Amino acid sequence: MLKYIGRRILQMVPVFIGVTVLLFLMTAVVPGDPVKMITGEREISPAVYNQIRAEYGFDKPLIVQYGMYVNRLAHGDLGQSLMRGRPVKDMLLDKFPYTMQLALAAIIIEIIFGIGAGMISAVKRYSFADVLVTLSTSILVSLPVFWLGTLFQMFFGIYLKDWTTDAFYLPMSGAGGPGAPFPHWVYLILPAITLASVSTAYAARIMRSQLLEVMSQDYIRTATAKGLSANAVLWRHAVKNAMIPVITFIGIDFGAMMSGAILTETVFNWPGVGNEIYNAVVRRDWPVVMGGVVIIVVVVMIINLLVDISYAFFDPRIRYGGGEEA
Amino acid sequence: MKKDSPQMQQEQDRKTAEATAAADTAYDALSASPSRTLLGDAWHRLRKNRLAIAAIIWIIIMVIAAISADLWVPQRFGDPITINTQTLTVDRLLPPQLAHPFGTDDLGRDVFARVVYGARFSLAVGLIATAISIVIGLVLGALGGYYGGFTDTLIMRTADVFFAFPYTLFAIALVAILGPGFINVFIAIGVLGWPSIARVFRSSIFSVKSQDYVQAARALGASDVRIMSRHIMPNSVAPIIVYGTMSIGGAILTEAALSFLGMGIQPPTPSWGYMINASTKFMTTAPWLMLWPGFAILTTVLAFVLLGDGLRDALDVKMKD
Amino acid sequence: MATDLLVVEDLKMYFHTRDGVVKAVDGVSYTLNKGETIGVVGESGSGKSVTAMTMMRLIPMPPGKVEGGDVRFNGESLLTLSEDKMRAIRGNRIAMIFQDPMTSLNPVYRVGHQLAEPLMLHKKLSKSDAWNRATELLEMVGIPHPESRVKDYPHQFSGGMRQRVMIAMALACDPDILIADEPTTALDVTIQAQILELMQELQQRTGSAIIMITHDLGVVADMADRILVMYAGKAIEYGTVDEVFYKPSHPYTWGLIDSLPRHDMTEKGELCPIKGQPPSLIQVPNGCSFHPRCPYAKERCRVEVPASRPIEGSHVAACHFAGDPGFTRNEMACAGVNAQ
Repeated sequence: MLKYIGRRILQMVPVFIGVTVLLFLMTAVVPGDPVKMITGEREISPAVYNQIRAEYGFDKPLIVQYGMYVNRLAHGDLGQSLMRGRPVKDMLLDKFPYTMQLALAAIIIEIIFGIGAGMISAVKRYSFADVLVTLSTSILVSLPVFWLGTLFQMFFGIYLKDWTTDAFYLPMSGAGGPGAPFPHWVYLILPAITLASVSTAYAARIMRSQLLEVMSQDYIRTATAKGLSANAVLWRHAVKNAMIPVITFIGIDFGAMMSGAILTETVFNWPGVGNEIYNAVVRRDWPVVMGGVVIIVVVVMIINLLVDISYAFFDPRIRYGGGEEA
Repeated sequence: MKKDSPQMQQEQDRKTAEATAAADTAYDALSASPSRTLLGDAWHRLRKNRLAIAAIIWIIIMVIAAISADLWVPQRFGDPITINTQTLTVDRLLPPQLAHPFGTDDLGRDVFARVVYGARFSLAVGLIATAISIVIGLVLGALGGYYGGFTDTLIMRTADVFFAFPYTLFAIALVAILGPGFINVFIAIGVLGWPSIARVFRSSIFSVKSQDYVQAARALGASDVRIMSRHIMPNSVAPIIVYGTMSIGGAILTEAALSFLGMGIQPPTPSWGYMINASTKFMTTAPWLMLWPGFAILTTVLAFVLLGDGLRDALDVKMKD
Repeated sequence: MATDLLVVEDLKMYFHTRDGVVKAVDGVSYTLNKGETIGVVGESGSGKSVTAMTMMRLIPMPPGKVEGGDVRFNGESLLTLSEDKMRAIRGNRIAMIFQDPMTSLNPVYRVGHQLAEPLMLHKKLSKSDAWNRATELLEMVGIPHPESRVKDYPHQFSGGMRQRVMIAMALACDPDILIADEPTTALDVTIQAQILELMQELQQRTGSAIIMITHDLGVVADMADRILVMYAGKAIEYGTVDEVFYKPSHPYTWGLIDSLPRHDMTEKGELCPIKGQPPSLIQVPNGCSFHPRCPYAKERCRVEVPASRPIEGSHVAACHFAGDPGFTRNEMACAGVNAQ
């Protein structure tokens, strides 16, 4: 198994390098004077201009610039915000926990409802529940996440409030804070459900197809022939096998969730990294945009690596290698 | 003739060329083209899937409506783009009614008209961007799949690098760099889609390559190109068709997201994503404004998803191998 | 005769599918007693596996449906038993092993766990007792180093070993009947012999009855006491192994025996297969289901379904001419020429 983990990490290295190259190219290609990217629209003296030029190596060949870029990344330097003048890193790290909260809540929802719905629809194949799940997953997958968010806002934030005369509604903006009408976690509800929606639909679909495939395997027949009850066969034998690809999917989906987070945070004004990125795009504050991209990409890569490695734990065939053929 | 003389060489070359041509012809004669029967068979099965047929019908309706929009929309519903300053205050934010089935927006424009015109752009992005992805993906996937070795590793590692970026985030970053505007949207979405296609195609190639009939073809002397086009392509094409169809839906959603964030096509040209954004201000006063573009996106993407599902089931038997 | 251990009486099980009714099992009867082995022989699709699965109630009942007959285990009908009671029998009193050992074991559980499962379920053993017994079972089936192997996963065993594990799992609770569905088909010939030997040995020790389902006559020749030959869902010949091998009475059986390559064949000798294909079970031929392929077929065979005719003692065959004096195998049949 250590070999497997080692191999995975090794495979990550060229990818990681490639990612940094791509990130660098993206920053280098941003139109406009690169010095202005750093200093913004402020007037600066030629001396400062040249100093910055030298410091960042804009006169040097791309390769050298790339090296300096990687060096800066390694030291956690993501540049300065054009508008705020603060280091990008600080700005974003402040917001990072909010995004993580949102992602975590969404993943929990995804696991419970996605896997649950997938199981129900596989076990009761062709029943009403199955048809319902299949249709709703198809619809959810086709739904623009931001539209769903605004619909929720409209319904839970405005209409529900109207109909129950302010007695019962959900907040539709922001994350609460001191003096807010609701505790912090209530503000998480709508955004988390919105963010989770598409992923949950995918998870349900995958769980359903995996479970159906597992149920048709020979070892399920063996288990039934041993006298196990239908429940025992399902939970102890089928689910354990079906879960493996589903868990991997959830891990991989984390990346997509980060994308979705940008849209969701924007709609609900949730103070996370995604919201910052959006605001930065509007303000043309490129360092913040790229900084946000870097953070998200790094987090996604780490999570993907962890998921890959955890695969080894779940699947004994990898954990214990040494398979023999007949 | 002396051995190794130029004439001898020529003679050899001619003989080899003849032999290859003969092998190719003989081989052609032996093998019937697989594609015709495959597609015909699949079409039969697809026809039975009612959801997929409904999806196809809906897509056709939308495409026709979008293409022909200039012929009938402005005449009946007014110009979707320019603002008629005279009727502005009178016409703005009208609820759905006979003259304006979807109501009017805050600048007095008929929403139905704008939705139809929005369809043009969304469908165009969906189809063209996906086409770009497919072309790039097929070429790279074919190179990697057929030649294997270093070429393959290089291409796959590059694909991995792309995969490390969350899709929509990448699109946002790309458009942020390239600048807003519809060509950049095409490029951004198109360029992002190739890794998945390449991967699917490549694994298809690998599994087909190892099949006996490819070995048999080689044994009969068929050339590389012939094997590629006659055998590997038709059998590997099925997953691409399915994945491509689903990708169209994905491309439309991504474009909508970009427009929503203000990075796609710029106003006043109508685009569904932007319309949703603009309508949030009027959530309480004109809630219907938000619904129509959303439904438009939903139904369009859903149609492609259902079609993709249907295609997958129809082509399944071949794909299972 | 007392109470036979197992009585299958005119069992009929059809599948109701969109394309038609599949008559998978269409009138099968046999008896089995303690310590006996019956070989159920037939081509793929003859219904031999389905019969056993029906007995164990492992067939999903839509689309399957028992259309007639009965299966009695120690006098009690298995077909009308409640599901709870049936579960208590599966893996416990009647156990089954399947064809492909590579896929019949759950890849995510250790072998010891899978062996212990029926023990904990049926015999209410504690986990540690069950695992100990699992180790013993592994030893019983001839797996070396059972104490360490018991903690291994299925993928760490070879095909032959896995089949041994399956056998151990089936015998864990000391069943009265072991149903073996093509247990050696997926294995190398040398391993085949080992597995069969093992099964015989264990049978001696435990006294279980065995239902051996196979398409290979060679497999049953050694092991079986009785043979049931099936074709297109019907039982077409039944008798002791000597009766069926030395006095086969049905043209299909003749065909089966003739199609075996013989070690005394010369280079020039030709193989003698049965011409044609087994019929689709949705459109079984009228009359005798074998008649399209039978070199001895006559007009009557096209129209009338043959009843089971007694030959001698318990030996029966379902052919209109079975047992008739002079109705024997004809060498000409091999050439596909009508031989009567």
